Amino acid sequence: MKTNIQKFALRILILAAAIIALLFFSSGFVINIFDDGDSSTTETGLAEEITATVELENDSVESDENASQPMPIYGNWQVFTTEDGLPSNKVNTVKIDEGRILVGTDRGLAVLENNQWTIYTPEDGLAHRNVLSIDVDEDSGDVWIGTMDGLNRWSAGVFERFDQFNSGLANNVVYEVSADGRYTWIATTAGANRYDTYTNQWKIFNEETSPMHEPWCYGITSAENKAYIAAWGGGVLEYNNDTGTFRVYRDPDGHFNLTLFPDDGLIHDITTGVAFDNGTLWVSTYFGLGRYNGQRWWGYLDHDTGLTSTFINAVKAKNSVAYLATDYGLNTFDGTTWVTYNTIDGSKNGETIITNGENEEKLITDSAISHRFIWNMDVQDDVIWVATSYGLTRGVVVGYVDETIL
Amino acid sequence: MKMSNRLIILLILGVLLFLMGYRGYNWSLDHYEYMTIGQVTGDIANDREAKIAALKCMSCHTYTQRDGFFLQFAEKDYTSPYNLAVSSDNRRLFVTGQESNALYIVDLASDRIISKIPVGDYPHSVAVSRDGQKAYVTNQWSNSVSVVDVDNGTAGKTIKTGGGPAGLVLDHDEEFLYVANTYTSDISVIDLNQGVESKRLRAGNYPTGINISPDGRQVLAVSQRSVLVEYRDPPKTEITVIDAGTRRVRQRIHFEEAHIMEKVDFSPSGDLAFTTLVRPKNLVPAVQVESGWMMTFALGVISLETGSMYQLPLDEPNMFYADPFDVRITPDGKQAFISHSGGDYISVLDIDKVREVIQQIDEGLILNAENDLMLSEAYITKRIPTGSNPKGMVMSPDGNRLYIAERLTDRIGVLNTQTLELERMITMSSADQQALLRRGQQLFNNSGRTFQNQYSCYSCHPNDHEDGLTYDMDFYPGEDLSNVQTLRELAGTSPFKWNGNNVSIYMQCGMRFSTFVTRTEAFSPEDLNALVGYITSQIQHPPNLYRGPGEELTEAQRRGKELFERTRTNDGRMIAEIDQCITCHPPPHFTDRLKHDVGTATDRDNHTEFLTPHLNNIYESAPYLHDGRANTLEELWTIYNDDDLHGVANDMTKDQLNDLIEYLLSIGSAEYYK
Repeated sequence: MKTNIQKFALRILILAAAIIALLFFSSGFVINIFDDGDSSTTETGLAEEITATVELENDSVESDENASQPMPIYGNWQVFTTEDGLPSNKVNTVKIDEGRILVGTDRGLAVLENNQWTIYTPEDGLAHRNVLSIDVDEDSGDVWIGTMDGLNRWSAGVFERFDQFNSGLANNVVYEVSADGRYTWIATTAGANRYDTYTNQWKIFNEETSPMHEPWCYGITSAENKAYIAAWGGGVLEYNNDTGTFRVYRDPDGHFNLTLFPDDGLIHDITTGVAFDNGTLWVSTYFGLGRYNGQRWWGYLDHDTGLTSTFINAVKAKNSVAYLATDYGLNTFDGTTWVTYNTIDGSKNGETIITNGENEEKLITDSAISHRFIWNMDVQDDVIWVATSYGLTRGVVVGYVDETIL
Repeated sequence: MKMSNRLIILLILGVLLFLMGYRGYNWSLDHYEYMTIGQVTGDIANDREAKIAALKCMSCHTYTQRDGFFLQFAEKDYTSPYNLAVSSDNRRLFVTGQESNALYIVDLASDRIISKIPVGDYPHSVAVSRDGQKAYVTNQWSNSVSVVDVDNGTAGKTIKTGGGPAGLVLDHDEEFLYVANTYTSDISVIDLNQGVESKRLRAGNYPTGINISPDGRQVLAVSQRSVLVEYRDPPKTEITVIDAGTRRVRQRIHFEEAHIMEKVDFSPSGDLAFTTLVRPKNLVPAVQVESGWMMTFALGVISLETGSMYQLPLDEPNMFYADPFDVRITPDGKQAFISHSGGDYISVLDIDKVREVIQQIDEGLILNAENDLMLSEAYITKRIPTGSNPKGMVMSPDGNRLYIAERLTDRIGVLNTQTLELERMITMSSADQQALLRRGQQLFNNSGRTFQNQYSCYSCHPNDHEDGLTYDMDFYPGEDLSNVQTLRELAGTSPFKWNGNNVSIYMQCGMRFSTFVTRTEAFSPEDLNALVGYITSQIQHPPNLYRGPGEELTEAQRRGKELFERTRTNDGRMIAEIDQCITCHPPPHFTDRLKHDVGTATDRDNHTEFLTPHLNNIYESAPYLHDGRANTLEELWTIYNDDDLHGVANDMTKDQLNDLIEYLLSIGSAEYYK
């Protein structure tokens, strides 16, 4: 009897220690860990979501580690349409690939090289004429192309097709593809994929195999051996390649049509794109922009920042600057300063607006982006290419934001 | 004596008496005839007793069992030299011993082996640094490169590669090593300063040969198998061109209607690249073999200046030179040497004549060159017979000697390139090259038993496997197409062929074979014994790439296994036993050895039922189905299983199908399931 009492006391003691430890380690946030993405529940059977620590601080005093880099201002816009050789003016995406520009339109892949356009269609091996996404693997140089009906690997001029019938691709509607050496990540309407180019193995992440709320994935990117998945209605999933575990970022207030506290976590669950750069995760949604530096979130809406629209189709990030494709112009943001680019109705001129806190400077430019509805963009060095719903636009850096401007 | 022992002795005596008695003797003859029908011809064709004297019971019941009693006494001490390299001072020859898992260093002054260095499994090729201090050996079954310290005679560091590393080449600065990974169809780029694989580039299907241009600017990798083409399209096989500066694939070019490109070499001026290739005629009935139309062998020439590609026949109108393997060019760019591993010959080509022919093709003076077997007399100057199965070759730096790996005679032939005479042999082992199984191996790789030496077993079954093609084996075009199947781990899995008509390998390789396929005299009983013994006794699958020996299944594989063995659909309905995967595909070979109608027959097939194929290392056997219609495993269920006749699978989600395929990929050698 005495022994049993001792055992019982010991068990109580261990249990108490475990609870204390659990509370201690989970005080900052709750991490949802899944076993290699193969199980939809934790050991306790709960798929808990992460909620970032709520810190309502003054946004403007916060700056990134690399914010000292000057914020570029683009201009000298040059527009390309069907008259210049594009197969269509509906330009979904654009990618700079060393000496050439890869352009995804709804009527094929257009490649600008040596001032010559070459058009590729399904007759050449393209999976579908409507090209939605393009990425280039830096290691191999292989181009990955997501279309409305399958995925292509375009390697040294040869198209290889992957679809849901001949491969492990989750679905043929490929919204975004991200090539990262060994792994290629794919966002589809029925989940995200990881394709191991070394072993030809496919892994599917969806509501059955991951803590994904819904399998409709609009955006995906990979960096530092992690992948970030923008799941429409499900926030952002971060997948760790080393551990095979997930973290989930969701909108803490859970409201569909309003944002109570923009900085309380991911600004909205209707996510459309993700970008990772210099330790910062940028998330585009149809209800604003989210930024996460690994410790806290910031949310950005259009009524109190320089953001021209909360309806953001895509986000890219480079050198600590986020590039946002909105339905009302091209936006750039470095965490402090906004520079936005738009058209002016009834004019060939464009407008560039620089905003920092309360300060705003509007510049009228001789040239403008081809259309204010932006689908995507890509930047390299001092050049930006912008995919719009009417034409493709090229811009170059014409200056940098400094205090004298504002 | 125990009662049980007495009963066993009585049983044995009973069987012996039965066999010795009239009825038992006749039963034995009937059994023998059933299992070996038609394979013995000539004077004794109608003499049952004479036949049984020729083909002994022991043939089936000892040698043809992998772990049979007599097999342990079979000769196993072979070196099987496969590929070679020579030091820049021409003092040392480096030889990979494919069956001894070793690298041999031969002193060329004395022709003696001075070092035997254990490396990984199934070493394929070797490259040597310019200073002769380091040798790099690809271990095809260990998925690695061994870095050998030549002076110490030891293999030190091992560098991981992709699956099945084969050919390899150093870049000119000796900073990067390019390795062609056959089984994963890619190229490992190894950073030698870091000692690790830095990246992997997609190649053609089953790349094996790889070489770097004389200016060091581009690397070419040639492939064995055709890329997956549309059903009934002719094969086309990739040459992958890598920019050695960016270490990226710059170009993918294809030889049309060709495959099995084993090696590649450059003219010293760097304007031409040469590769060996096979031109299969798999889309027309194989009966045309008597018209010289089963397959031909050619030299592939690529103009690196114009991008033009040429296929120049190596055969003659009435004589074929099967299975060209290696090609080497003299430093003066005047002669090329090609080893015919199926014909046991070296062909000598005059490159100036090759250039003339190419020019005439360009000018339109020669049409249909690839099929004009008369053309070879214009550039082939000599055929030099060799020992069995000449494979890799290497030229001495001065170009005066050509070293030839005679794989199945365990010798290195030394050819004087001036006199074109074989001047000496370097013996690599003392093993008996006439032992039964070795003899079978030689026969398997030799084209001497086919009409006009057109092809060997190897031609359609390279590396004892299959060539990824579907052949038209009926008299009428397009009927009864036959997807070539692997010959690995066949012992004890009769019957054979897609229609299951051959109850033994004896039957498969016997008279029927000569009637329908080789169109020549059948194998003699002695040769048939040896050939069947080889096929059924030795051939193994390479280690599975998705699940190593003793490894646990991954989560996805485990889930896939549950699906493979499931008895209910997702909505809980019972699946009839015959519609469960495991029913027709039980381990260890994952075949029930029966025929089934899985709804894949077409109106061009004479059968609706097909023999259940093995699933061991099934990932190496694309395309799939009896006629090679399915390019991937996924297509078996997403496209060709509308009515759930090939197992109930239409209720599966995409995740489940992916899991099922993960499990199928993990099915390795039958050894692990016994």
